[in-house]
Amino acid sequence: MIPAPDLNLSVLLPIILVAIGSMTILMGEVLLSRADTVLGREVTESFIGTVLAGTAIFFFALTLWASGVAFAGGGVQVFNPDNPMYQLDPFSSFVTAVLALSALLSCALSITYLSELRINHGEYYALIMLSASGMMLMVAAVDLIAVFLGLELMSIPIYVLAGFDRRKLRSNESALKYFLIGSFASAILLYGMALLYGVSGGTSFEALRAGFDADNPMALVGLGLVVVGFAFKISMVPFHQWTPDVYEGAPSAVTAYMSVTVKVAAFATLIRLLAMAFGPLEASLETIFWVLSALTIVVGNIMAIIQENVKRMLAYSSIAHAGYLMIGLVTGTIEGYSAMIFYLIAYTFMNLGAFGVVVALANRGNDCERIASFAGLARTRPGLAAVMALFMLSLAGIPGTAGFMGKFKIFMAAVNSGDIWLLIIGVLMSVVSVYYYLRIPVLMYMREPEDESHRTEIASGEGAVLVVCALAVLALGLFPNRVPTLLFGDLDVLDWANRSVGMFFGG
Amino acid sequence: MLPMDHVIALSAILFTIGVLGVATRRNLIVILMSIELMLNAVNLAFVGFNRIWSQVDGVAAIDGQIFVLMVIAVAAAEVAVGLGILLAMFRNRDSVNVEEVNLLKW
Repeated sequence: MIPAPDLNLSVLLPIILVAIGSMTILMGEVLLSRADTVLGREVTESFIGTVLAGTAIFFFALTLWASGVAFAGGGVQVFNPDNPMYQLDPFSSFVTAVLALSALLSCALSITYLSELRINHGEYYALIMLSASGMMLMVAAVDLIAVFLGLELMSIPIYVLAGFDRRKLRSNESALKYFLIGSFASAILLYGMALLYGVSGGTSFEALRAGFDADNPMALVGLGLVVVGFAFKISMVPFHQWTPDVYEGAPSAVTAYMSVTVKVAAFATLIRLLAMAFGPLEASLETIFWVLSALTIVVGNIMAIIQENVKRMLAYSSIAHAGYLMIGLVTGTIEGYSAMIFYLIAYTFMNLGAFGVVVALANRGNDCERIASFAGLARTRPGLAAVMALFMLSLAGIPGTAGFMGKFKIFMAAVNSGDIWLLIIGVLMSVVSVYYYLRIPVLMYMREPEDESHRTEIASGEGAVLVVCALAVLALGLFPNRVPTLLFGDLDVLDWANRSVGMFFGG
Repeated sequence: MLPMDHVIALSAILFTIGVLGVATRRNLIVILMSIELMLNAVNLAFVGFNRIWSQVDGVAAIDGQIFVLMVIAVAAAEVAVGLGILLAMFRNRDSVNVEEVNLLKW
């Protein structure tokens, strides 16, 4: 008889909550769409949408709470001690909390937008929750099998989400390009995993670390293919060409969600893979990361200058930010990794906020996409213009905002590990980026309004998300180690980032 | 018995054919098939390596075979979604030629 393994189900709680949420939404939509009235209220399409979004937000809030409790408890818990594949530790619980928060904000952002585009279907929230559960699995995985499953569970729902506006050709095209590039990248990643398995004889990170031999060409090719597979996901140059097309064609709310969460999850997984499975970077790999990071920063920033579409501009800007984040990978120190985590949090709020403004301007099926259409927004929509200006300043890295603090931390880590040239490239390109980011505030505040096709009122969900993001950007920029909140006292985000990556360095 | 080197070499060749197919073919269905070919090359490599390692240890090492089952399941899901996206595209433009997918660029 096979002895029953000693399973610890409570470790899976964050993922289980999200998965249950997505099933609840799928069933809820079927039941709701057959009812005429619920609790005395007539069931309309927008009512269903609001209820389902509320369910998604509720489950994400539960996940946030569960992972927060796990993070506060500290320690490392595994699901199956005999064969650990999934591990809830300070790192995974913290990243899970960040993912749950950004997914929650994206759901709140989508409610009115979906009605405006007339694509208000309940599957939307179920797909968001499924992909979030994949990300949470991926960042907590300590086995290649779990990494692969998490990656696919993250990607496949997002392929569908990119094409969610299925009557629009641009949405179709976005989904198709993302699907082709994404599945090609996962095949490459898988071949790399197969080679690594061939070298080490096991799929767990522990076995990889024991069996990894830098003199074996098969090991190096395998590692290279795995890195290339992830490079597609984080849109590292030269694997970035899909990013602007996909971000532009997908519905803006989906772009907001995927530009933020996919990056957080993929970077967190890379950190864990490099820290746990391959030890400190091999010198050769460090050089490769150095070159790719410099290339990514330069190409992202230069290409963003010539864009006329705000979503494409933000796509290239997200490529540039991936380049800054990679500086942390190059350093390979605890300081670099913790700076990456802090930067990812700052990036989450500012990018979600910037796309949130684009979402809030969308009107009757038309995305407000041209940069020129922001002209004179300060006169017609002063509140939106103010937060948009704040997010642009933060993305450019102006002091007093979260973006500055993140860049400062990353550059400090580069200095302390001796990567002076990377620092110089990063700072110079940040100066270049000010040009294209500040174009939007200049248009909003110094030009006359010309395009009158924006939406004229803001929905409560969008307003709440924008206020939260704006406050977070300011708070993280002004007091990164004691964010004041009314409910929970002062929050020390920098210390959390340090604690979460500290576990890789015996902390 | 077949030497394991041959199995690994075959998987590398199949993988390369798949990559070339994705890179050069213009029909979306054929590209999809090429991606499937890449995934199956991966499966072959996993099974081959698993065979080698189970001979080395003398114990039943089955990590590679489990991985293959996962890959097969995920590949099925991926193809379902891929064909769905393709169908939505075909309904809107009556073509599965990848060169006509050109609304978004630069």
